[in-house]
Amino acid sequence: MIPSSELSKHQIDRLGDRLRKADISDDDLRLLDSYRRSFTEAYEAVVGQIRNQLGLEPTGRPAKSTTSISEKLRRESIRLSQMQDIGGCRLIVEGIGKQDEVTAQLRSLFDKTIIVDRRDHPSHGYRAVHVIVGYRGKLIEIQIRTGLQHLWAELSEKLSDVVDNAIKYGSGNEEIVSVLANLSQDTMNIEKGFKGKDLELLQAGFQHYSEALGRLQDVIQDILRRLEGRKDGISD
Amino acid sequence: MVFLIEYDRERGRIVSIRSFADSNGDRAEESRLQLELELNLKGVKNEVVLLEAENEEALRRTHRRYFEDLTELATAPAH
Repeated sequence: MIPSSELSKHQIDRLGDRLRKADISDDDLRLLDSYRRSFTEAYEAVVGQIRNQLGLEPTGRPAKSTTSISEKLRRESIRLSQMQDIGGCRLIVEGIGKQDEVTAQLRSLFDKTIIVDRRDHPSHGYRAVHVIVGYRGKLIEIQIRTGLQHLWAELSEKLSDVVDNAIKYGSGNEEIVSVLANLSQDTMNIEKGFKGKDLELLQAGFQHYSEALGRLQDVIQDILRRLEGRKDGISD
Repeated sequence: MVFLIEYDRERGRIVSIRSFADSNGDRAEESRLQLELELNLKGVKNEVVLLEAENEEALRRTHRRYFEDLTELATAPAH
């Protein structure tokens, strides 16, 4: 293994440039492995503090997959050394009240944090709060999602996996993108209605959500029929 | 526990999953690299990811996409 401390910023970004291409050499896989391992100490320190100080149990992803890193580099003009989510973890909480509470706890727990609140300004429908923690020169991303936000994100990811990778970035199959946009908006209305004890907003949110989910189920069944040849994995 | 997952995105299905004790994190990372090199040699573009969770049940809750198909995800309630 190549010691990650020997990798300069220039070498990391040159590696990132090569990862944008379709074929990745074995040497570059080893180099990326070394770079990812350089986040282990920061990841363990951050996740350890969340567990020990806050009593929460996140699921961790010590390092982003090669596939996800390559795709992000191809999609965005970002450099590898600038990527903020190489290492990270995820917390699923009950409702936006608890989400606010955990965000505040994390802000107090760590010295250097950046809060990215995507609830009122979602990214292609994706709603969540991300807390980026700086630890000894490395950034670790903590995703905080409510149950409904999480379900939306998992649906969007899965549809991107099996139908079209563009879906999670708001393009591709128009019907799916439209239904996901509605579901995202309804998620916000339900959560705001629940938090604000706004019964009218809550009822309307649930009704629209239920209708949108029904539409999505119909679209999925239609996709299943059209993709009959590669059906396994999409639905058993 | 640490879980090493090979996931076929196009089919939306896990190809293999291995678990390691928390104390074997280094071994899990080494296994990830070996699996990536093997797949690269074969020209297979599957996603290889290491995840850490209290147990598999927790992992299935926070990373449903790897374990559930589209129909299950669209019909099961939010956890």
